Amino acid sequence: MASVSFKNIEKSFGATKIIHGISFDISDGEFVVLVGPSGCGKSTLLRMLAGLEPISGGVITIDDKVINDLDSKDRDIAMVFQSYALYPHMTVRDNMAFSLKLRKADAELTNTRVANAARILNLDPLLDRFPRELSGGQRQRVAMGRAIVRDPKVFLFDEPLSNLDAKLRVAMRAEIKALHQRLKTTTVYVTHDQIEAMTMADRIVVMHDGIVEQIGTPLELFDHPGNLFVAQFIGSPSMNVLKGTLRQADGREWVEALGQQWPSLTHAQARDGQSVHYGVRPTDITVSASGNGIPAKVIVVEPTGAETELLLEVGGAQLVVVMHGRTAVQPDDVVHLEITAEKSHVFDGTTEKRLD
Amino acid sequence: MSAGLRKSRITWKMVSTEAKLLLIGIPVFLWTIIPIYHMVLFSISPRNAATSGRLWPKEPTLSNFSFVFQQKHFYLDHFWAQLGNSLVIALSVGALTLAVSTAAAFAISRLKVRGGRTVMNMALFTYFIPAAFLAVPMYKTMGNYGLLNSQWSLILAMVTIASPYCIWVLKQASDKLPWELDEAARMDGATAMQLFRLVYLPLMVPSLVAVGTYALLLAWNEYLYAFLLLSKDSSVTLAVALGNFLAADDSPWELLMTTGLIYALPPAAIYYAFKRYMVSGLTAGAVKS
Repeated sequence: MASVSFKNIEKSFGATKIIHGISFDISDGEFVVLVGPSGCGKSTLLRMLAGLEPISGGVITIDDKVINDLDSKDRDIAMVFQSYALYPHMTVRDNMAFSLKLRKADAELTNTRVANAARILNLDPLLDRFPRELSGGQRQRVAMGRAIVRDPKVFLFDEPLSNLDAKLRVAMRAEIKALHQRLKTTTVYVTHDQIEAMTMADRIVVMHDGIVEQIGTPLELFDHPGNLFVAQFIGSPSMNVLKGTLRQADGREWVEALGQQWPSLTHAQARDGQSVHYGVRPTDITVSASGNGIPAKVIVVEPTGAETELLLEVGGAQLVVVMHGRTAVQPDDVVHLEITAEKSHVFDGTTEKRLD
Repeated sequence: MSAGLRKSRITWKMVSTEAKLLLIGIPVFLWTIIPIYHMVLFSISPRNAATSGRLWPKEPTLSNFSFVFQQKHFYLDHFWAQLGNSLVIALSVGALTLAVSTAAAFAISRLKVRGGRTVMNMALFTYFIPAAFLAVPMYKTMGNYGLLNSQWSLILAMVTIASPYCIWVLKQASDKLPWELDEAARMDGATAMQLFRLVYLPLMVPSLVAVGTYALLLAWNEYLYAFLLLSKDSSVTLAVALGNFLAADDSPWELLMTTGLIYALPPAAIYYAFKRYMVSGLTAGAVKS
């Protein structure tokens, strides 16, 4: 168990700089997810922590000890790879025991550790099989077992679920989370899937183009996205965003967009006439057949059972609304949208930063 | 009706394909088999019947083989020693080439050492120069080192000739091993040597068998360099000894062919035993998969 700290981390490949000075701390036992679109530098950051990629600038510490120049093997870190990277010529048992064998650990300790890990991950019946004889999910568990056996200071996961089918992915997600709750080992997990990030993380680090956009707990990011990128990246379906103009009068504030007035809270930094992005989550819009809300035309109705997703048109732009339960609304109907000001998000038109 | 037509058309197509294959296959088969047939025919014919022109000898005999095995002819005085020489040299070349090329391929492909690309290019470049061109410089070099007439000269020369191709093939095969395996092993605490021994070598076995066999057969079949670098009757290889049969006007053809047949058997056996690896190993990396 350990704390990890990144200070001004930079990475360049030749003349191309891909990580621009990233700093954050991970506390002991925390489950941190690095999330962002592909090419944002999240995997590179993880690989720098693992010692698989040299660090171009800045300092990484584990338990306050600088590890920049330490070899991977001396960092006491275990990693689960996207491709599992199981040794094809070794049985499950030998795969899991490999690191201890290299450390010349005594046979009894090795056996105990392997047996323990196998029990935790339900791998007992598979110990004498070869990786080629296992299913995707089983291979994934062996890769995790290999990490557990080491009892390392930090677990690293590099998109470990991307090669699994959707159903298995959900199951493994829960399994990894349960494993963390049980072992309480500091974990850094990289994914491009924001749902994985939301469901698993204690804290999420949202990355984009080599910088950190925002760090926070899943619900902080969901409720108070710090900028437009985070607002649109976190949440599914993603937030509706309209370009508009902020208006202030009589101590009231609203946004004019698509020829309508969209309610918003008052913002200290805002000024009348400022160009802004107005955001509202699909789940935060109430649809009624009649009333004095913003009129919208229904384009598509997508029932998913528990929820119904509506694609609506307002003044030439499209909005998504998620309703609980079922609805009698039909395409081409006109409905009325009601939004409470507390649920709106307003971002500056140029900096795209959240207005407070 | 239409199904019937269709069926017959496919059959016709199959027949024509088969016919084309046979048209190519039969000449190739004859081309390959006739010399071998000749060799076998000579080796089981008594001396005076060897050139009789019959397709099968009237009185087939194995006496030629007992002649060879008991070294009962002037040309065969050192048969066993020469067979032994061929064996020792071929095995040494196979082993040394494997050691050299595996280490080189691992360093270039997995450790990404500086200059790896240059080595690869040079390895390919060596094949622009036919081995025969290098015979004289090689002879001179071995002379400088005082290795002439020592079997080491032939072993070293053959390792030199075989290595570049072997490095090339092994490097291509190594490139296909997933890179994550190295990273996983490094994270598990493996040093470069442990990575080589515990992860790389076991996964490379098919290619190693192919490349080792290639080098071994190359050395076993070598004539020019063996002829040039070795001269004592007791130290030459069997290939050179076979050539010496033709030094006289009345060569004992039946014994030459018998010895040749014996000499051809080990490569055939090795190839048969390892053919599974040969095909997959030597073509590994030939195309991007």
